[in-house]
Amino acid sequence: MNKAKEESLCAIMLALALALSYMERLIPLQLVVPLPGIKLGLANIVTLVVLYTLKARYAFLILVPRCCFTAAFGGGATGFWFSLCGGLLALIAMILAKRATCFSVYGVSMIGAAAHNIGQILAAMVMMSSVYIGAYLPYLLLVAIVTGLLTGGICAGVLRVLPKALASMPGGKP
Amino acid sequence: MRLRFQKWDIAVIAAILVMALAVFAAFLPREDAPAAYAEIYQDGKLLKTVMLSEDQEFTVTGRYTNTVTVCDGKIAVTHSDCPGGDCVSCGWLDGAGRSIVCLPNALEIRVLAGSGDVDFVVG
Repeated sequence: MNKAKEESLCAIMLALALALSYMERLIPLQLVVPLPGIKLGLANIVTLVVLYTLKARYAFLILVPRCCFTAAFGGGATGFWFSLCGGLLALIAMILAKRATCFSVYGVSMIGAAAHNIGQILAAMVMMSSVYIGAYLPYLLLVAIVTGLLTGGICAGVLRVLPKALASMPGGKP
Repeated sequence: MRLRFQKWDIAVIAAILVMALAVFAAFLPREDAPAAYAEIYQDGKLLKTVMLSEDQEFTVTGRYTNTVTVCDGKIAVTHSDCPGGDCVSCGWLDGAGRSIVCLPNALEIRVLAGSGDVDFVVG
């Protein structure tokens, strides 16, 4: 795949990630599970797809602007730090999990979701200078298993068709 | 590229469950005694200590405003203008060792047991 194609794909993926994290706010998951910072993690689908179809460095290039834009579109400064810490830890964990090769996209997705929650809680601990908020982590981790399986399933579906579609487009094989 | 659920993925679920249990055990309240007082923190600093035996209502202002109510030995954030409103949906707390957190306002309420160490009300 040539550079121009990779870069334009990145731009599309960033737009998709932004749209998904905005859409996610319309789903009132907090009514079902009243925990702070709980969400489906739909934007993580994009990170995962980029990780599997492009290079890992592009996933970083998409993650950071995504957090900035999401904060600018109404997440606020606190939200920015939580999603950045969570997102970075999730990305690093998913890169390592994918390298381990024994996990499927479901496992990698769940590891990402759990790492995201751990990162968020760590950011909250630093921000509030208190470890008490860690008491929420077990519940967040249980939800991470479910949301990780869900986003992993969506990813598996996308990855079954996307690489072929990309290869058939002009610009070379991914 | 592995797109089908593997047996190693079950190991991931097990590992997350074990981690959740370990963290849960670490944060278990150490005392079963009924809650006696609550400490109100903002940005990590102790703002005030309130006795749960005295019904009262006050607001904590920062980036947002939380209304905290104490009634019948329980404490809750009864109103908040923060986005999300998770602090309000936490509801009424009466067990020692539990806490309410409002991340947008950096507010934390810790419910604690015991009586000897607090016999005053600040604020």
